[in-house]
Amino acid sequence: MNPQSPTNEHLLLIRGTHWNHGMSPSELQRVMTDFYAWVEGLSTSGVLRGAQPLMEEGKLVNGAKGASVTDGVFAESKEAIAGYFLLGVDSMDEALRLATACPILAYGAQIEVRPIADLCRPMAEVKAAQHG
Amino acid sequence: MAETVHSPGTSSARIAEDFFRHESARLVGTLTAQLGTHRLQLAEDVVQECLVRALQTWPYRGVPDNPAAWLTQTAKHLALDQLRREQRWQDKEDGIAAAHERWLSTPTTAAEHEETFADDTLRMMFVCFHPLLSVEAQTALALRTLCGLSPAEIAAAFLTTEAAISKRLVRARQRIRELAIPFAVPEPLELPARLDAVLGTLYLLFNEGYKASTGDRLVREDFCHEAIRLTQLLTEHPATRVARVHALLSLMLLSAARLPGRTDDGGNLLRLHEQDRAAWDQTMIMRGIQHLGLAATGDSLSEYHLEAGIAACHSTAADEASTDWSRILSLYDRLLVITASPIAALNRAVAVARVHGAQAGLDAMDAIKARSSLASYYLYHAIRGALYAELSQPAEALTHFRQAADLASLPAERDFIARRIQDCEGQG
Repeated sequence: MNPQSPTNEHLLLIRGTHWNHGMSPSELQRVMTDFYAWVEGLSTSGVLRGAQPLMEEGKLVNGAKGASVTDGVFAESKEAIAGYFLLGVDSMDEALRLATACPILAYGAQIEVRPIADLCRPMAEVKAAQHG
Repeated sequence: MAETVHSPGTSSARIAEDFFRHESARLVGTLTAQLGTHRLQLAEDVVQECLVRALQTWPYRGVPDNPAAWLTQTAKHLALDQLRREQRWQDKEDGIAAAHERWLSTPTTAAEHEETFADDTLRMMFVCFHPLLSVEAQTALALRTLCGLSPAEIAAAFLTTEAAISKRLVRARQRIRELAIPFAVPEPLELPARLDAVLGTLYLLFNEGYKASTGDRLVREDFCHEAIRLTQLLTEHPATRVARVHALLSLMLLSAARLPGRTDDGGNLLRLHEQDRAAWDQTMIMRGIQHLGLAATGDSLSEYHLEAGIAACHSTAADEASTDWSRILSLYDRLLVITASPIAALNRAVAVARVHGAQAGLDAMDAIKARSSLASYYLYHAIRGALYAELSQPAEALTHFRQAADLASLPAERDFIARRIQDCEGQG
């Protein structure tokens, strides 16, 4: 059993960094208008807690004391995370409802919806063991 | 970038309709002004990338306080990156490279783009509409560079392939390089002729959009609105603010005002008397009349003046019956003194029919000198058919409508003729 507990927040991870390439200014304008209307909806209903885009480039650190630092698998791809939206909603259903309304899905972007947990799983397991 | 941003989702209203498209034209102009027309492709690529960056950033962070300045700054950065990557750039063009580098790394002030916007777009127009480029190249380039449409969108409107349009664009940019077309408003001596070439292509662009419904209708209506926007820019600039520019703008506005009433809900073409005049855009008509007034301040009379005058007669008539056809006829008479266009002569024949009856209209058609060039034009036969129908000669009418049906190439045109044929058969 997962010892983690959900909070009242969900994170939308926007995946796909190249779905808008090759669009003309007039097409980009349409997407921007639609995308913005969606963001504005989140904002006016008060659920938007934060959002940031991510740079495409990044590094992957691993091994003890960062024995290995490599280029991440962050370049142009359908899976790469382009940015996130943090939403103050406590049910997965509600988070999914908001995510499915995101217009950039129509252009090939993907959205991963994750509940924000109180603790990461390893810590939650330690805590469960102490109290168990 | 030290640019204040709003919290997400608070400022979508700051991005006006068509902002990207118009900003892209401005940015391509600004970059081309600095880097030269031989780098038009680079300017377009950079601007494209810059808009993509905006889309990847603004929805998360909010629209910057001054979105236009943000775009300019980003475009300059991207251009600099791109130029530094070019090996040749560093080897051969040291002096120029340094000058460009200085300019590209200087932050843009808010006032800067305001000042240069009209100038750069105007210069860009004189590059795109250069008479040494073919008319096809001019229109494709204008739609891409000045109006921000993709090759795919342009192709959809012209019923051709994206590859064909892309090829046309590549050739056009190559030709600009070969001819070393300067990024400048022509010198006063050269200006009138060059301006006429610009107006000619803008008029063509407008008509491409106005023509029945070939290809994608929305994109086509865009053509009309873009032609209006560019012509309006010409009416606002001291160098090009002359009577015939106002006349052309008036003509476009008065015609475009009628676009909403031109088809029914099913997309069928409607004749003037069938159109719902309440659907016509009254604000546009007012603006059209206003520019017609401004056009009258000069001492020259262009074909645009006369065509705008004719459009004004149609747009301001309360209904078909109260249309001032004798005034329209006299305007066509004067138009035919200036132009040898058989299409104008054909339209005049319609006015003759309205004033003096259908038989007089048919006689006027017979008298058109360059009539042979109209033989393959479906409307020529459709009009003959309509006039014979008015004279209660359904058999004659039917013959001509059938000829028109054979020549009509677009579905909306074919449907239109099919309905006329049905009417005739109903009578016969």
